[in-house]
Amino acid sequence: MSLPLPSYDGLMQQTRRHFLGASALGLGALAMRSLIGEAHAAPLPKGTHFPAKAKRVIYLFQAGGPSQFETLDPKPLLKERNMQPLPDSVRQGQRLTGMSGYQATLPLAGAFTNFKKYGKSGVEYSDLLRHTGEVADDLCVIRSMHTEAINHDPAITFFCTGNQVAGRPSMGAWASYGLGSMNENLPAFIVLVSQDASKDQPLYSRLWGAGFLPSEHQGVQFRAGKEPVLYLTNPEGVSPHTRRNMLDTLGKLNADQRATELDPEVDARLAQAEMAYRMQTSVPEVADLSKETAATLAMYGESVKSPGSFAANCLQARRLIEKGVRFVQLFHQGWDQHGGLPGGITRQCQQTDQASAALVKDLKQRGLLEDTLVIWGGEFGRTAYSQGKITKDNYGRDHHPRCFSLWMAGGGVKGGQTYGQTDEFGYNIVKDPVHVHDLHATMQHLLGVDHERQTFKFQGRYYRLTDVAGKVVKAVIA
Amino acid sequence: MRFLTPFLAVLWLASLAGAADSSVVDFNREVRPILSDRCFGCHGPDGDKGRKAGLRLDEFTGATKELKSGDRAIVPGDVTKSAMVNRIHSQDDDEIMPPPELHRPLSAAEKDILTRWVKQGANYAPHWAFVSPQASTLPKVTNVAWPKDPLDFFILAQATKVGLAPSAPADRTTLLRRASMALTGLPPTLAEVDAFLADPAPDAYEKRVDALLGSPRYGEHLAVNWLDLARFADTWGYTGDKEMFAWPWRDWVLKSFNDNKPYNQFLTEQLAGDLLPNATQDQRVATAFNRLHRMTFEGGSIAEEFRQDGINDRVSTAGYSFMGLTLECSRCHDHKYDPISQKDYYAVAAMFGDQNENGLLSFHGEVPPPFVRLFKSDEERTKEKQLQAALLAAEKALGAIPLPAAVVTAVTCPAPVVYLPLDAFTKTGTDNAVAEGKPAKFERRGAADDLQLTPGVKGQGVKFDGDAGFILPDFRQLGRFDAFTFSAFLRFSEKNTRATILHSTGFYTGDGDATGVELLVTQGKLRWSFIHLWPNSAVSIETKAEVALNQWQRVTATYDGSSKAAGLHLYIDGQEVPFTVVRDTLNAKPRDNALEIGSRSRDAGFRNGSMDEIQLWRQALTAAEVAALHGLDPVNLSPAIQQAHQQLRHNSAYIAAWANLQKARRDLAAHQETAQPFFAMEHSALAPKSYVLTRGEYDKPDLSKPCEPGVPSRVFAWSNELPRNRLGLTQWLTDPQHPLTSRVMVNRLWAQVFGTGLVASSENLGLQGDLPSHPELLDTLAVDFVRSQWNTKAMLKRLVLSATFRQASTPTSLGREKDPGNKYLARGPVLRLTAEMVRDQALQASGKLVEKIGGASVNENALRRSLYTYRRRTAPPDNMLIFDAGSREVCQPKRLNTNTPLQALVLLNNPGFVEAAKQLAARVSKEATDPKQQITLAFRHVCTRLPRPNELTALSELYTLQKANPPPSTLAPLAPPATVDPKAKRVASAPAKAAAIPADPALAALTQVCSTILASDAAVTSR
Repeated sequence: MSLPLPSYDGLMQQTRRHFLGASALGLGALAMRSLIGEAHAAPLPKGTHFPAKAKRVIYLFQAGGPSQFETLDPKPLLKERNMQPLPDSVRQGQRLTGMSGYQATLPLAGAFTNFKKYGKSGVEYSDLLRHTGEVADDLCVIRSMHTEAINHDPAITFFCTGNQVAGRPSMGAWASYGLGSMNENLPAFIVLVSQDASKDQPLYSRLWGAGFLPSEHQGVQFRAGKEPVLYLTNPEGVSPHTRRNMLDTLGKLNADQRATELDPEVDARLAQAEMAYRMQTSVPEVADLSKETAATLAMYGESVKSPGSFAANCLQARRLIEKGVRFVQLFHQGWDQHGGLPGGITRQCQQTDQASAALVKDLKQRGLLEDTLVIWGGEFGRTAYSQGKITKDNYGRDHHPRCFSLWMAGGGVKGGQTYGQTDEFGYNIVKDPVHVHDLHATMQHLLGVDHERQTFKFQGRYYRLTDVAGKVVKAVIA
Repeated sequence: MRFLTPFLAVLWLASLAGAADSSVVDFNREVRPILSDRCFGCHGPDGDKGRKAGLRLDEFTGATKELKSGDRAIVPGDVTKSAMVNRIHSQDDDEIMPPPELHRPLSAAEKDILTRWVKQGANYAPHWAFVSPQASTLPKVTNVAWPKDPLDFFILAQATKVGLAPSAPADRTTLLRRASMALTGLPPTLAEVDAFLADPAPDAYEKRVDALLGSPRYGEHLAVNWLDLARFADTWGYTGDKEMFAWPWRDWVLKSFNDNKPYNQFLTEQLAGDLLPNATQDQRVATAFNRLHRMTFEGGSIAEEFRQDGINDRVSTAGYSFMGLTLECSRCHDHKYDPISQKDYYAVAAMFGDQNENGLLSFHGEVPPPFVRLFKSDEERTKEKQLQAALLAAEKALGAIPLPAAVVTAVTCPAPVVYLPLDAFTKTGTDNAVAEGKPAKFERRGAADDLQLTPGVKGQGVKFDGDAGFILPDFRQLGRFDAFTFSAFLRFSEKNTRATILHSTGFYTGDGDATGVELLVTQGKLRWSFIHLWPNSAVSIETKAEVALNQWQRVTATYDGSSKAAGLHLYIDGQEVPFTVVRDTLNAKPRDNALEIGSRSRDAGFRNGSMDEIQLWRQALTAAEVAALHGLDPVNLSPAIQQAHQQLRHNSAYIAAWANLQKARRDLAAHQETAQPFFAMEHSALAPKSYVLTRGEYDKPDLSKPCEPGVPSRVFAWSNELPRNRLGLTQWLTDPQHPLTSRVMVNRLWAQVFGTGLVASSENLGLQGDLPSHPELLDTLAVDFVRSQWNTKAMLKRLVLSATFRQASTPTSLGREKDPGNKYLARGPVLRLTAEMVRDQALQASGKLVEKIGGASVNENALRRSLYTYRRRTAPPDNMLIFDAGSREVCQPKRLNTNTPLQALVLLNNPGFVEAAKQLAARVSKEATDPKQQITLAFRHVCTRLPRPNELTALSELYTLQKANPPPSTLAPLAPPATVDPKAKRVASAPAKAAAIPADPALAALTQVCSTILASDAAVTSR
């Protein structure tokens, strides 16, 4: 028989112990990872199928569904036809949510923002994204994203795990599982949730869960404050020195247990306890932003000084990937503007625009951008028409899965371009649609992973991030 | 036939000839796993669009027939003519099978197996798990003294075959810990250990096992895996993640395990308790198994989409739990591997979607119907029966009152309590509106210019735009036993597909939430309803004809407060209009909201419709009064209308009897409402019909493919004798000959005790599942299980009394080399404790475990066993997730065991574990004075056995070292640990504050010793 392909049952059954037994050190997580990763690729780095352009990912997830009309996809026609009804010929009977589906009229809403061309490439960004515009030549704006779900929970679950059904591994978990960690002292997948965002729609731990993959691949949430990782801090009265003594004792207990029980898994447990000990030093170190220069802090903006803000998290993300964390995912809530969109989206952009751009600049000046993929976007877009009453200076937009925009930068992405096109109402895609599965396939491709080959057998089926679909979007790749 | 290049053909033929191995191939063991994994995806049972080249390889006929190309994939006995054999050996990327895109090429050994199989005649055999299990005779063994149970013969024979000999028995302490962990999830107490060690009786162990099986902790432990399967939690999941009142079902599971309810009954009550004759309250509670799937109330969600998702979750959960099949694979297409067609799937779905239900949770979080009322005692249940009898008697008494002569000369319509002439309005009211004797309060929804005055029947009327309307904030409290009448002139200027004329339902988040009165236009017809939660609990009627357009007409809607559809009437221009009853199932009270006219938030209002002269009554007008209101002469009314009016308005006996009936209705409802509603299954004839959904999409039912209830009958035939519903499904499943049910459960029990099932993929016994390690043993146990009347405790007792279970778990070097995963069980099982067991053990060792059976889920501070910890689906308890527990969002048949740094952090720093270490230190410092004794006791409380000398030395050294270096004295004294509020909504909530170590140097040192013990391998394993 050929080498066993990785599977849930295989892990359950035997191979882990077997493998640990055969490995000299038995460093549990690493050992298991190599078992998985090396199943079918010899000369390339672990888990990759071809040379990777990106080694790491920072995903700036904008939860709630940012409106493309006020940010990345200018539609002058909507301004011309402001308040006029959406033509039936455009809607083509497609489904709406129950929130605006019963509205007597669907009045088109022109964006209150103006757009301007930026950089050599001349890509247009709204005046809410001035800072982003400054890095326009590094960014590829995809204007033809589309997804399947129309409500937040299914849509964000779909975006983060490739499936609306709960229980599938998240993007970062796949990256951790497939590519492993580049750091002995930190988890491979770290999640940062903005504390300064308006929490209009909740987040769920499934969005960074390991699903059916081993739980070591689940995203570890870094929190603002004294204890960035849950239970990282020793209880009061336990000094690092005491903890060292305890671990030394634990080592002796487990050594005796190992000698008696002849079970290599004992070593794996001890190795994990030692890594926990190292994390107790490495995590506070990486979470300490105080050593950053004034110039760097200024670049990220004033709010970088508030722990847990989006800006602080962007800077934190850079520090994490510098330490070799594979996948960092930020979540910034508050983009769900069913009503009061002009005010709401202005606030959202104020919180995110400068820091997102600063992250790209910062990575670039440190030479990290070329192999760090940065993605900015939400789970779906918003409607061309107003949900609820439209007035001169106020309107809202309902969820719209049929088209939306996001941007990518670094990590092998060809900057200074837009990809895909929506119709002049911004309602349907007219050119080069990019499905969520396609984005995932492209992201994995940049990481050197063939999305069709990185699979995990669970309950009799070979699962992958892209389910049974997904095409790599070659045009966005440099 | 496509030919390989001669050169290559020669090459592989030569290699074939060289293959010395000509042993007979076993189809089930060797061939089918290859075919299934590499071929069936395109050439398997999925016959719809999935089958390439018209070829199916999962059955002999298909595999050997002539294909369109003229080839035959398999010519039995003739490898050169078999296209499949040629193709798997091809060097050409366009030719080779499986195609390179699959990324799972065949190995040389696999090609050899397939080739030999074809050469030997390509014999097929049915999949092992779809053939009824047969008991085997005991295999012959030489070491006849070793077995203690028939199962040991199978284990021993197999181990011997691979060259392994059984291990010596485990020492008694280890065995007791192992059995306690396997059966109760907790280690034995020191007293239990000492008593056991002191008991010289030959059946001492068996007596302990009986005691463990008889302990209520048994059910608490067995329940955990069942709660994973059933995705039991305390919240609904999805956005908002509201609380789900589900724990009575969890207590039913506990009790069922503790009472040793036969498994066939356990299965039947959960899948179809409501369909059992004279179903008890408990049997109906059991059916909540099917209702524990997630539900959303997110604004804008589409009810049918989520109803279908819920049904799928039920089907898939039942598939994993009872059949060991991945049924949900057939939701979108025929199963790629197993003989389950998409039609089979929707036939099963028809039984699980047999509810009169809504796919969405109410925004307000009410228990989603159908539900059962949880009466706390038999007295309460008896009282309900008495009140039901009284209601019947009152109905009968009313019916017995003779009809009066039909002579009505004059009818006076009572004055309305609210009158809205709608001749003019300001921002807050109309100029002369009257409500209950006072000027009517009146709130506008929408902007000032949204409502337009328009010439009305009398003076002005109002024209609506579909979004704006008005609310009568003081007109509330329309209860289900309160009569009500609405009357107004309406003018429809379009055939509204949906328009709200009047409602008291608050805002609209889909049908799941509308609760109150509701007068709508749907597809041009009037719909008049009184709703608790649609569609399960409502009365509703709809006119047969569409309303006339572009003319003023007086629409009157009455409700008599009876909670019956017969109490709803609709009149146009004073005359009752023919209607059909849509629902007649109101069984609970609505929420209280103000009455709103012409609009509803997030719903379609009365677009382009006009209204004038609105009048409201807090009573039901009689048909005669409605006629009089419109100026019709009573003389012309039908005798029946005249008689009804006489009875209701002039016959004191009838009036009294009606009042009596209404009182009986209120009394019954009041008593019922003292009992909490609990969601359950309830078969209903009103359930939507099941169709095959094209590609599984909720909005694409294939109307040409209606699905009557059915089962995957190619797995096992469904006797015609059995009812075509969920009860019939359970009878199919519990048929002693059913090939899956008994195997699945026996295998699960085996995994409970030995860590891994005899079939490792315990959730999937289908073609893509694992083959059993000991097929004859599995089958024999399955047959025994059925013969024992599905006796779970008896089966577990056999397993833990077996010689196999009692072996020492330490491997020999031969054992480690030949069987690293302990598949052959030539040594005892080693288990990493689960999340629950790790915490429960710490609590028990600390002496602070609060042992109370059942009840509402609790905060971790309650120090109860972990299965009672409140489970929020979108933010499950962190320490549980870190120890591999799932989120309980979907069915989880089993958990992985991982080792991660975060686990070490939990064991050493989680406030609950730190507190346990402190309490354990305090405990042993009271139980002994000598530090070594204290440490020994602490070790035994956690790990059961005595510490070995090296261990004791290491821990003592730590003690001495730490005592000499006490923590700073500024520390706070013992305080209850702070933990994250389990009900906290946000996953980003602040972490718990770490607990402090005691300031006393000896106690502090001992605490650190205890903490180290809790984190040690000996603590987190059962060996």
